Amino acid sequence: MISGQLRPVLLQLERQSGSLRSQIEAAVAAHGAPLRWAITAVQQRADQPALLQIEAVVVSVGDRQQDEA
Amino acid sequence: MSTAPPLPTLLVIPTGIGCAVGGYAGDALPAARLLAAASGCLITHPNVMNGAALYWSDSRIHYVEGSSLDRFAAGELLLQPVRQQRVGLLLDAGIEPELRHRHLQVADGCRATLGLDVGPVVITDRSLEVSLSLGASGVSWGQLGQLEALLRAGRELKAAGATAIAVVARFPDDPESEALAAYRQGSGVDALAGAEAVISHLLSRELGLPCAHAPALSPLPLDPDLDPRAAGEELGFTFLPCVLVGLSRAPDLVPAATRAAALGIDAVGAVIAPAGALGGAAVLACAERGIPVIAVENPCLLEVTAESLGLAVIPAASYSEAAGLVLALREGIAPAALRRPLPALQDQP
Repeated sequence: MISGQLRPVLLQLERQSGSLRSQIEAAVAAHGAPLRWAITAVQQRADQPALLQIEAVVVSVGDRQQDEA
Repeated sequence: MSTAPPLPTLLVIPTGIGCAVGGYAGDALPAARLLAAASGCLITHPNVMNGAALYWSDSRIHYVEGSSLDRFAAGELLLQPVRQQRVGLLLDAGIEPELRHRHLQVADGCRATLGLDVGPVVITDRSLEVSLSLGASGVSWGQLGQLEALLRAGRELKAAGATAIAVVARFPDDPESEALAAYRQGSGVDALAGAEAVISHLLSRELGLPCAHAPALSPLPLDPDLDPRAAGEELGFTFLPCVLVGLSRAPDLVPAATRAAALGIDAVGAVIAPAGALGGAAVLACAERGIPVIAVENPCLLEVTAESLGLAVIPAASYSEAAGLVLALREGIAPAALRRPLPALQDQP
């Protein structure tokens, strides 16, 4: 059963090999139960993995208004 | 008309990102109708189909709320077509009495004129307190202050026999805002879309039923420069008719673990999404399963492209071209054979 508060989450994530979806879902789930997420920007970097910007809404019992990680 | 078996196809046009096609009042519906004809079976979501007072019903189109679509693409849900859903109506207590009556009369009109099975009606025990916001990228997100009140009302409707739920929440009026003016003139983001998605996602996840949302808003003053793509939202007092029609034949959501003989992701032969918005859960899930991704030129706020994600896609300059590609896949024609130049095969080293 869903309960708690809705919370927006903004994440920056380094792209790793393997399933991109699993990587994002794990990162978002660290902030609460994922309700909605999307990659909203990709920053290509020389000699480093791409940096993904993820915007999400999670259900959480926390009281912070916005997480940034 | 193709005589080949249908090719179940997923059409995704994310809400609240200002897509030139599909970013307004159900203005991707013509594309959806064309793709339904090309594929014989199209699975898509309310943002594509909802034109407020305008709608289209096609037995080849499966109307599936966004988070359920994500779970379908992930292989967690199956879709079971039904003849008719019993659509419960969930109304926010924050809707003023006159506006509430307007919504009830729309529901009655859909019963009397279209033969839909609508009811019962439940009003939340407190105002839902919807607020609107934009994310870091400028996309529409939004918040809901009384999550528990929404879910209580949804559970009450399900217990009373509703097999699908249309939810109407009172959204803040802001008739003077620049964002609304831009949207009405065809150059902005639908500021309501993000909060709408959150509401329907919550209910659908909690109840396992088809759900969709219509915002309740006060009528706007006439705008002589209204963009045709936004006009569907200015024809009546509510945005509810399309939601009731869409839900009335939305497929049941069946957990994949039941192994029912229903439509599953394994049967899907293509997914279509805007070329700059490929970073959503459904598209990524399909790509990881090896389902062909058709990336359509459809300008939006985002630039999350195939190249930036390292995805292999079939490009299409328009939804018309995408329909041709879907038909090719349905007929067993390799899309690459339709393009020039056609590189010669090379020996493997």
